[in-house]
Amino acid sequence: MENLEVKIVQADSLEALEKVRIELFGKKGLLAAEFAKMKDIPGPEKKAFAQGLNEKKAALQQAFDARYEVLKAEAVEEMLKAEELDVSLYGTLAQKGALHPVMETMDKIIDYFVALNFSVETGGMIEDDFHNFEALNLPKYHPARDMQDTFYFKDGGLLRTHTSPVQIRTMLKEKPPIRMIAPGTVFRRDYDVTHTPMFHQVEGLVVDEKGKVSFANLKAILTDFLQYMFGDVDVRFRPSFFPFTEPSAEVDISCIFCGGEGCRVCSHTGWIEILGCGIVDPNVFKAVDYEDVSGYAFGLGVERIAMLMHQIPDLRSLFEGDIRLLEQFR
Amino acid sequence: MIVTRSWLNEFIDLSGVSDEKLYETFNAIGLEVDSMEKIEIDPKVVVGKILSCEKHPDADKLNVCKIDVGSGIRQIVCGAANVVDAEYVAVATIGTVLPGDFEIKHAKLRGVESEGMVCASSELGLPETGKGIMILDESIGELEIGKPFGAYPCIADTIIELELTANRGDCLSIYGVARDLSAALNIEMKPFEYKQEERMKLGIARKMDLHTSGEMDADLRYKLATLQHVHSSFLIKLRLAMVKAEADNPLAEILAYATHTTGVILRMYDCASFCSPEEEKVVVSVEAHAEGIIHVHANGKHISIVGVSQSEESKPTVNSREVLIEASYIHPDLLAEAVVNEKIETDDLYYKTSRGSNSDLGFGLGYLAYLMEHNTEVECYEGSMDVEVEREHEKVLVDADEISDIVGMEIELSKIAVVLQKLGFDVTAMNDHQLATKVPLFRHDIKNIQDIAEEIVRIVGINNIPSKPLVFSEKKRLNETSSRYSAKKDLRNRAVGVGFYENISYVFSEKEVLERYGFETTDEALALANPIAEELNTLRSTLLVNMLQAIKRNVSYSKKSIPLFEIGAVFDAERTQTEKIGFVFAGQAERESVTNAGKPPVIDFASFVGKLGGVIGHFDLVPCTFENGLIHPYQSADIVIDGKVCGFVSKLHPSVQEHYDIPVTFIAEIDFDVLMPKHINAKPISKFQGVYKDLSVVIDKNIRYYEVAKVLNGLDLPLLKESYPVDIYTDEKLGENKSLTIRFFIQSMEKTLEESDIEHVMDAIMRALQENFGAELR
Ligand SMILES: [Zn+2]
Repeated sequence: MENLEVKIVQADSLEALEKVRIELFGKKGLLAAEFAKMKDIPGPEKKAFAQGLNEKKAALQQAFDARYEVLKAEAVEEMLKAEELDVSLYGTLAQKGALHPVMETMDKIIDYFVALNFSVETGGMIEDDFHNFEALNLPKYHPARDMQDTFYFKDGGLLRTHTSPVQIRTMLKEKPPIRMIAPGTVFRRDYDVTHTPMFHQVEGLVVDEKGKVSFANLKAILTDFLQYMFGDVDVRFRPSFFPFTEPSAEVDISCIFCGGEGCRVCSHTGWIEILGCGIVDPNVFKAVDYEDVSGYAFGLGVERIAMLMHQIPDLRSLFEGDIRLLEQFR
Repeated sequence: MIVTRSWLNEFIDLSGVSDEKLYETFNAIGLEVDSMEKIEIDPKVVVGKILSCEKHPDADKLNVCKIDVGSGIRQIVCGAANVVDAEYVAVATIGTVLPGDFEIKHAKLRGVESEGMVCASSELGLPETGKGIMILDESIGELEIGKPFGAYPCIADTIIELELTANRGDCLSIYGVARDLSAALNIEMKPFEYKQEERMKLGIARKMDLHTSGEMDADLRYKLATLQHVHSSFLIKLRLAMVKAEADNPLAEILAYATHTTGVILRMYDCASFCSPEEEKVVVSVEAHAEGIIHVHANGKHISIVGVSQSEESKPTVNSREVLIEASYIHPDLLAEAVVNEKIETDDLYYKTSRGSNSDLGFGLGYLAYLMEHNTEVECYEGSMDVEVEREHEKVLVDADEISDIVGMEIELSKIAVVLQKLGFDVTAMNDHQLATKVPLFRHDIKNIQDIAEEIVRIVGINNIPSKPLVFSEKKRLNETSSRYSAKKDLRNRAVGVGFYENISYVFSEKEVLERYGFETTDEALALANPIAEELNTLRSTLLVNMLQAIKRNVSYSKKSIPLFEIGAVFDAERTQTEKIGFVFAGQAERESVTNAGKPPVIDFASFVGKLGGVIGHFDLVPCTFENGLIHPYQSADIVIDGKVCGFVSKLHPSVQEHYDIPVTFIAEIDFDVLMPKHINAKPISKFQGVYKDLSVVIDKNIRYYEVAKVLNGLDLPLLKESYPVDIYTDEKLGENKSLTIRFFIQSMEKTLEESDIEHVMDAIMRALQENFGAELR
């Protein structure tokens, strides 16, 4: 019986162990044969014999179970090993595309203003003189209305040169209070290294009762917005001129490349011009028949912001579907 | 507009104001500084006096000069031809380091010792003032031999280029900029005083007549003068060069200088060009042609349109002896509107007149007279001939509370009054919180209280206004547009998820290309009038043509797999704008990797359509009804969503593929509107198990699956939940037929299915297929 335990321990596979099991524990196995001897044992010794045999069986069972665990684990390991892969071969298989940085920047801008409860408004790209110019206090002879800058159609229609006509249309359609942004595609007849005939703008407009909306409010929201977009930057307001706002200002941020020390990007001024804004000119309100109201408006170029945020050097590359650029934004 | 520090200093004392402060102030008051350049000159460059000048014994083009440079007399060889005319010059003495790290050392030029260099302006980093060396005169200040040249403020000047906004015509002169600075820096203006010397000839009326006809819109003032020995000073030349003003003779230089200084529009006419020696008088007739358009004739000859242009022949030359001098002012709005309406050609001065010139004609003429007196032998006829127009000055009632509301901070009335006065406004107090202002003519841009608020903001300083968040009424502001944006964003992210890159292309296309492929183009009557380039000469009616261009470019960048999508506007023949989403996929369907042994499959119909589904969700495909040159006639389909055809998917026509020289490409274009998310109600889900059953039938080869599907979907079998094709098989034995295997899912809402239920369904299906397609069980 002693070498039985050795047999168990020496079984080197689950199959070999199974053979040992049948030899030992099977109906015709060695243990069964031992137990069969019981009937020939005289009464007084029977108890001791049975006890000895049970102990022996338990010991063998324990040895068997232990060996089984070991061999089972080995078998699983072998099966797993057979499925081994060089996983490092597959890291580059992911096939995600990418959003366009301009659109992604536009999304980020829209998210900000929607979170501040601005409505999003839209309008067609083809406009008329009234909505694109006249109503915005840009009379026909205004210097900002150079024929060179605007795409016209033969019937007098034009491609909007800014998203401001959406302001006019929204004001004509709705009553104050108004709090809106108009993201959209705009057109200028200009094509060189720093100009494309089409680009994107987001325009904002807030209108409420007379005396309620001030320049100080404009400063508050735009400062917060620019810090949301660019992080911890300084924001500077400079008086400027736009026909549809008065007072008007241009807004600069401290240069994100040199931290204000002066570099090539900021023409060594330490500041980067980022958007235009102002208090809505009374002539604009007159054009839409609003009385006793006050408001502010602002407008920004999405390409410019995207290029600054992502350090994209070439404006025109944004309109060429260049995967070498786009795949960097995966 | 370019100004210089020393030039401004003629009207405002800037001695206590640093360049940094000046820079800051300009930006703060809305006169944006484009550039600022401080001229620095080595102190070893000094004023020298030429004592003698002789030809170099061995070089024709060189002169040997003896020059007193204060510390001694130096022998200097000079190559400039004009040195012979010079008395005082700028001399770079030994040890001077000139721009470009050029050090002046002892030298021997063709055997002659030279101890220094006589300088041209550009050699010192100054702008070019003309050919040769600088010939100095007292215009820069008293000439002291040996004095460092850079010690003259007008030499070591600071040149500041301002970018003016379109409304600030008042700052198109040194005087105007100084006035704005005066208000911002709170420094009084220096008065300009000039008294013409008693050298007058006869009264002007003896020599000139002035006639007007029509309604006058312009102020005009004429003087007559005789001239001799016209020259302009070194300072005039230098400063004109600094501000990049061009003038081709001394008289033109003086005029340009006076205009740049005062902002008054000044012209000079050569009397000889219109007045023959026999004619005793200059007869000027001023005729209003239309509102804002005033023609000037002299002795019957057209000489100018006020504020717009001057005839070439009437311009004075170095030989002019008698000149008619004109100062003019016309309201810029009136002028600009008229010029645009009448399409009149304009000259350089029009830029100033159309943006608002200085209406103080007396100041302009006075300053010009002062310059002429110092630079020419001039004699003026006494008095002037004037046209004066009665003008209503704009009046604005300024309420301090209103200003405070606009700005968003408390601003006192007294402060407002001070600012406005400094800016040249007439101010009358009305009561404790209001004042009346009369707007000066040079600020034609100011018309209402908000314009006044802008002035206050400028001068008070925008950065001194506190930020204040706006309290705004609560209201839901989500609308159809915002839902559309968020739907679009989801869609774009899904497209990115299945591997597409977002493309943006111009909404323009080339008309000829669109037509070639059978896409519509804008009707001729509605077409683009001034396209910017041939390849962008019309509005696009499809996204795909531009996207093919993008594929072509990417192929040239060695890209092997080019998946792009674009959401954008397209326009039909009537120019109606709609939004579409386009997909293109060219080349390899996946990356090269070990899984495909470096030979990835090329994109095919099935995998392209699979990707589309990952973006736009479920759709059906039926034979293509779209017609255009990009479509492959045998691998194309209409995309049907909710029973509506909303776009197409196709293999790119091989001939187009060849034309663009790009790999196998698949394209799709879909109306964006149908992709907006829809409301969905859930259907009840059966608690009972269902079964899958396959049916293989033999049918005519030419029957398309969508026809089969239509029949199956039309069956009235509530237990039939779903059916889809799983196998298609043809061989020689089947001949003109094919074997089609369809899988069915059968399930009841009420009970566990029995074999007879299933049989009933399958029998009904088989019957329908037999009746409709003559199908036989395989
Ligand atoms: Zn910088």
